[in-house]
Amino acid sequence: MMAEKRPKAKDVMKQLTKDYYGGALRAREENKFIAYTTAVSPVELFYAHDIIPIYPENHSVMCLTGRMMPRLSLEIERRGYTSHLCAYARSDLGYRELGESPIGGIPDPDFLLACNAQCFTLTKWFQVLSRRYGVPVFVFDTPQYIRKDEARRNIIKYVEQQLSEMIKALEELTGRKFDYDRLKEVLGYSAEASRLYKEFLDLASIKPSPISIFDALIHMAITVYLRGTKEAVDYYRLLIEEIKEEKVSKGIGVIPDERFRLYWENLPIWFKFRDHSEFLAAHNAVILTSLYAHAWSYVFDVSDPMRTLAENYTSVFSNVELEERAERAIALFRQYSLNGNIMFLNRSCKAVTFGVFELKDMITEETGIPALVFESDMGDPRFYSEVQIRTRLEAYLETLDRLGVS
Amino acid sequence: MNRCALEELQSIARDPYPLLRAWKKEAQRKIVGSTLTDVPEELIHAAGMVPFTIVGTNKPLLRASAHLPDNACSQARSDLELVLTYQRDFFDGYVLPQVDDTSQHLCDIWRRNVPWDYFESFLPPRQVDRPSAREWLLDETLRLKRSLEFFTGEEISEERLRESISLYNQNRQHMRKLYEMKRRSPGLISNREFFDIIKSSMWWPKEEHNRLLERFISSVDETYLKDKGDGGIRVVLSGIVWEPPEIMDIIDQSGLQVVGDDLCVGWRYIGADVEMDGDPLRSIVDRHFKKGPFTPINDKGDRIFENLLNLVRQNRAKAVIYFHIKFNESQDYDLPDLVDNMEKEGIPIFVVETEYQTTHLAGVRTRIQAFGESLAQK
Repeated sequence: MMAEKRPKAKDVMKQLTKDYYGGALRAREENKFIAYTTAVSPVELFYAHDIIPIYPENHSVMCLTGRMMPRLSLEIERRGYTSHLCAYARSDLGYRELGESPIGGIPDPDFLLACNAQCFTLTKWFQVLSRRYGVPVFVFDTPQYIRKDEARRNIIKYVEQQLSEMIKALEELTGRKFDYDRLKEVLGYSAEASRLYKEFLDLASIKPSPISIFDALIHMAITVYLRGTKEAVDYYRLLIEEIKEEKVSKGIGVIPDERFRLYWENLPIWFKFRDHSEFLAAHNAVILTSLYAHAWSYVFDVSDPMRTLAENYTSVFSNVELEERAERAIALFRQYSLNGNIMFLNRSCKAVTFGVFELKDMITEETGIPALVFESDMGDPRFYSEVQIRTRLEAYLETLDRLGVS
Repeated sequence: MNRCALEELQSIARDPYPLLRAWKKEAQRKIVGSTLTDVPEELIHAAGMVPFTIVGTNKPLLRASAHLPDNACSQARSDLELVLTYQRDFFDGYVLPQVDDTSQHLCDIWRRNVPWDYFESFLPPRQVDRPSAREWLLDETLRLKRSLEFFTGEEISEERLRESISLYNQNRQHMRKLYEMKRRSPGLISNREFFDIIKSSMWWPKEEHNRLLERFISSVDETYLKDKGDGGIRVVLSGIVWEPPEIMDIIDQSGLQVVGDDLCVGWRYIGADVEMDGDPLRSIVDRHFKKGPFTPINDKGDRIFENLLNLVRQNRAKAVIYFHIKFNESQDYDLPDLVDNMEKEGIPIFVVETEYQTTHLAGVRTRIQAFGESLAQK
């Protein structure tokens, strides 16, 4: 019997995405509930309770990469929302008005969960949705994980208590008892998917790197919305195997003559990331990683579900003190042998952007690597200056060249 | 009427720093600064220090822009500027509350760039609609108490805390009484004078502030209170701060009489007291949940709108003036629905977009005056 041909990860991804959104659109017929949630949030509780989590942010990314901005934003600017709000929020609120979507839309919510470890904006954005759909917002409040023992103990206690409150809210929503054994099972999948996702990201530490940040940004989608499922685990196994076989074992890098191995601070400029990839490759440069991509590299301890969920979702990079965030970035510089640093000031994202000047000083001081800092917006081309950014990138690579970086 | 006490309060509101520097030297007390809002001042006071709520500066931004981009709201930028440039050596320590992304990062930036002997982040809950919020705030308030004790080397006794609470309650009661007097007798005191008094209370040592308020209130005789005066059109103010302060003069000059507000530098500061019975720390926490809604904090339903609607109705106001600080994200998300909802209720709402450091207020003046005139015709 011939061995079954292994499917390509990209095709699997397409199918998983199609099934996921298809399932969401059928939710009403199947009497399932839809919860909107934020990318960094204890989504395991939803999977354990058979509620379909939907990520308006992911849908917004599709709108942004589909270059639907600024049209979506202009629609809500007419209503009085300002153009300096988060591009995800503007795109989403614009979609609500116009109904335009690259995937035919997403179902309306029965429940809204906003975890503020990732950012505070989501609370306010979801409040707008709450008023629109008449459903409550559950703010999963994660105070900044400051480096003080007493504070950390209290924070974890507070967050664990909120997990219990959330379970109660979900029981009230569905009228069903929460199944803690099922949570353990879901968390097991999450733990394994997160471990494998990190293993996938860490392939970028190989020289030459078989993947770039652009691969990470494409493949992260699965762990963002399917962690907690067996499919996510199988997917990352397949993906890693594929990359190892096709690239690593043959010593093939993602670009032919890799010279500049770059760090990227912040979210990507979604509507430009392919252009950036090609432009940099032409200069023998490749962006390999960012703390943003690692926001889903969770380490779950399945033996204590509530505690591990509380710890992981509170200590994400955007919710720790700047010094700790710098340490995590510096660790990536070492692990991935990075020799360049591009720091994007994202007008859309105050949560990740404010404090970047301090972060830059800390990273440069420790690594000795100069950084390029530039401002734009992750989703709105009105705030993107093509020529200026290209010139800055070129000048930066020339600087690295002059410094003899290798 | 004792104009003297009133003038003293106003001079504090105009520029507290030289006066407070002199006072501090004499009294040998440490000053602990906090940004807006909700830091339990009674605890800092009971620790033997003077709490001071920083409300930015309208002087030019020189250094803050190097730390916070221009899409950070001017409240955060001017708070930072104040301590980076203008009052760098004024404060002995800081307790900075975090309520949103900007204030969270501001803590880190501040801690790294401003000299201090004492620094603590204070993390109030960003939701107040579930039981966990109260327990968390109690833990956090207890942590702040321990941290202050560690800094001063002295325990904050229950007795001292009660004394501080009593002092702060008195101060709030005086200001609420004055608000009521102003509502009944608009000719007594202008909007600017009244809100200056609230601002000065965030800055001036409470013992002294109470004395000034008592002097002023007791000097108001019946003739003033009977003189209803022409207070103009009754309006409610909404927002966080009223900056630059000249904006309140414009409201005065436009024939508008403020009868209620939900401002942080306003009713939110004076509206609720701490219960004197029971455990003082728990009572301080309880007070937090008695305050009105605050835009970054999630609450049940649409409390910001409901509260504003109640304010208008209870105070028989004709309209709302909303102070929107440019780039304040919370307000940005609230406003479109808030405006729609108020209009659906038939209540005119006028949004003034302001920034600290704004010097050209001619446009704002014309628009507020026109709004006032349109209300007069209704």
